[in-house]
Amino acid sequence: MMDSERIKQLIEAGLPDCSAEVGGDGRHFQAVIVSPAFEGKPLLQRHRLVYGLLEEHIHSDELHALSMQTLTPEQWRAGQG
Amino acid sequence: MDEVQQAIKQQVEAHPVILFMKGTPQFPQCGFSMKASQALAGCEVEFAYVNVLEDERIRQGVKDYGNWPTIPQLYVNGELVGGSDIILQMYESGELETLVKDAVGKQQA
Repeated sequence: MMDSERIKQLIEAGLPDCSAEVGGDGRHFQAVIVSPAFEGKPLLQRHRLVYGLLEEHIHSDELHALSMQTLTPEQWRAGQG
Repeated sequence: MDEVQQAIKQQVEAHPVILFMKGTPQFPQCGFSMKASQALAGCEVEFAYVNVLEDERIRQGVKDYGNWPTIPQLYVNGELVGGSDIILQMYESGELETLVKDAVGKQQA
């Protein structure tokens, strides 16, 4: 069973200087993920990075769906303005 | 490449815009597939779709094909564009419409 906190830990542990906010209902989760690792990468590659960190949990279907916003620190700051 | 992978390859190469989804655009069986197909419909181009719930081998096979773990998945010109988040973000920014219209236009030209 996955919970938001566990997903947050896995994501934050896998990306440099990352902060993630994760919410969800036990199977479907949403995450806002901010890391400089996303700089210069298109969305497809950003999502692949995150999926890679959660691979086994997605394959086992413990984690059925993760909706993500993947932002660089700069994009995140722009969104806060 | 096995039979299922070949079949998927043929599909993505035969259609400039193709969505692998759960259910159909008329009767989507998952909220993410529904939103993805609605975004494509909003671009006002014809698109092909595959209902992965009709064939378990395709449902698993398409995840392996593009090395992408979730459904829906959008392919344009044989290339994976992404899943529902990416489709929706690109729709909102207008990039999706440009991309799919170019793809369909090229095929007709």
